[in-house]
Amino acid sequence: MQIFPPNNGSGRGYQTLEAPAESFEQQPPNNWKGVFNISSYTQYFNVDTDVVINRLISSFHPTAGDFFNKIEANPDLYGLIWITTTLVFMLSCFENFATYLMQKHTDGTTTWSFDVGYVNVAASGIYGYAIAVPMAFYFLLRYLGSNASLIRFWCMWGYSLSIFMPAAVSLPFKIAYSLMPPRFCNCRSHLENLKVVFGNLDFRIRIWISKFLLLIPVEFLRWIIILITGTASSCFVALNLRSYIEGGNDLTIIVIAAFLLQMALSIFIKVWFFP
Amino acid sequence: MSNSHSDTIPLHPSSQSDIDEIENLINASVQSGPATVLPARPPSPPRASIPVSSSPFIQSKIPPPPPQSSSSSNHKVPSVPAAPPPPPVGNSSSIVATGFGPPPNTLTEPVWDTVKRDLSRIVSNLKLVVFPNPYREDPGKALRDWDLWGPFFFIVFLGLTLSWSASVKKSEVFAVAFALLAAGAIILTLNVLLLGGHIIFFQSLSLLGYCLFPLDIGALICLLKDNVIIKMIVVSVTLAWSSWAAYPFMSSAVNPRRKALALYPVFLMYVSVGFLIIAIN
Repeated sequence: MQIFPPNNGSGRGYQTLEAPAESFEQQPPNNWKGVFNISSYTQYFNVDTDVVINRLISSFHPTAGDFFNKIEANPDLYGLIWITTTLVFMLSCFENFATYLMQKHTDGTTTWSFDVGYVNVAASGIYGYAIAVPMAFYFLLRYLGSNASLIRFWCMWGYSLSIFMPAAVSLPFKIAYSLMPPRFCNCRSHLENLKVVFGNLDFRIRIWISKFLLLIPVEFLRWIIILITGTASSCFVALNLRSYIEGGNDLTIIVIAAFLLQMALSIFIKVWFFP
Repeated sequence: MSNSHSDTIPLHPSSQSDIDEIENLINASVQSGPATVLPARPPSPPRASIPVSSSPFIQSKIPPPPPQSSSSSNHKVPSVPAAPPPPPVGNSSSIVATGFGPPPNTLTEPVWDTVKRDLSRIVSNLKLVVFPNPYREDPGKALRDWDLWGPFFFIVFLGLTLSWSASVKKSEVFAVAFALLAAGAIILTLNVLLLGGHIIFFQSLSLLGYCLFPLDIGALICLLKDNVIIKMIVVSVTLAWSSWAAYPFMSSAVNPRRKALALYPVFLMYVSVGFLIIAIN
């Protein structure tokens, strides 16, 4: 039911826009004016919720290597934009949280202070990486004579960053774990906990395990987390890239370069945001 | 053109619908382009100037059709718009009364009247968006008389509140908050448009700005009460309120299967604003 007041008849209410816009989307203008027309970009956002969730889930399976097949017909930029934005938000807020916990750990009197400057670093780092690196690989591959698609590269690299989101959540909480020494360093209760878990083991082994668990430095755990995450993400990028540019042996170096760049990003996140 | 102006001015008000019909014909036949430009124009009543160019134009171009089309439009007009208009007049007479532009002569009125009118419009829009009312089901209909003053005030107020409550780097806090809110509203609107939703750009900006009002209140309370627990409770309540206010508009603008894709960024922006409110002190 469309209701229009009499003197508003020529249709500005978003109901009336529907009919023309549907036909309008089908024919994005091909001339240079299309650059400024938003309808020429809707083809890159033509995804439904279940499609995006499906792609997100497949980005958590780094060894499958068939991501380009999934996005072949319909690459989207929605994932790139909103995954990077979420990551920027998470990094900039958890970084402040982590810094606060670290300071509180060393100096009990410190007060919470929020440094807005982290937002700038996180935004420029993540956005810059997600936009520039696929572009660089695109131009490199085109230069080397392979056919490549910039939109598909952006899509793949964007989804490859999604695995960093759980890592960004878990990193500050590892510090929180270290903040509770009285409870967790109580060897007796710890041993009793272990007895539940490793009930039938020899007592010495139990002692050894408990010592080991207590002596694991938290920093080491966090490095493990970020390295696992980084490796998974790098494998996702490298394997998909390899399946995409299959054919030339001389392109192996490009796959390795992509792997190393993704690892560098994960180490940058660890070193810069969660020191 | 200029002498024909005097011809069409004395048109009787009842022939307004004929003029609309002719104007639609012109738009449909001669130029189909402007239909895409129209929505960005704020609602304004000056109609008299449009038929000026249209009526002589259509007569000179195709002489036989006009009598036909005008006569047929005389028969059609009662049937097409006559059915829809009664409900809005009956239901939302207050909206209609304030909704269609300024009274005829606003150039000579005192400045205070202009300000008062704008303020009352902000208040009525705020009521329509943020507080429960029967028009929430279709806020696009309710917020026809959108303005950008309200969102501007709310964004600046939130930025100022945050920078007041910051102890260091006050100006940087204001800059980040203002950029986040202003760019965020634009990007969220573009996101809905890119997902194939049908909204009017500035109307959506206006609505997203009005939805910041609960967070403004939350920021103000957090400025006065410096307690982390109270801050968290206040921010969660106002966050839920803001999301509730933005939900019907954003979800009705897109295809139901893409609702989550349109709502997630809105939620992300409000969560980050809420985090700024808690974190900055």
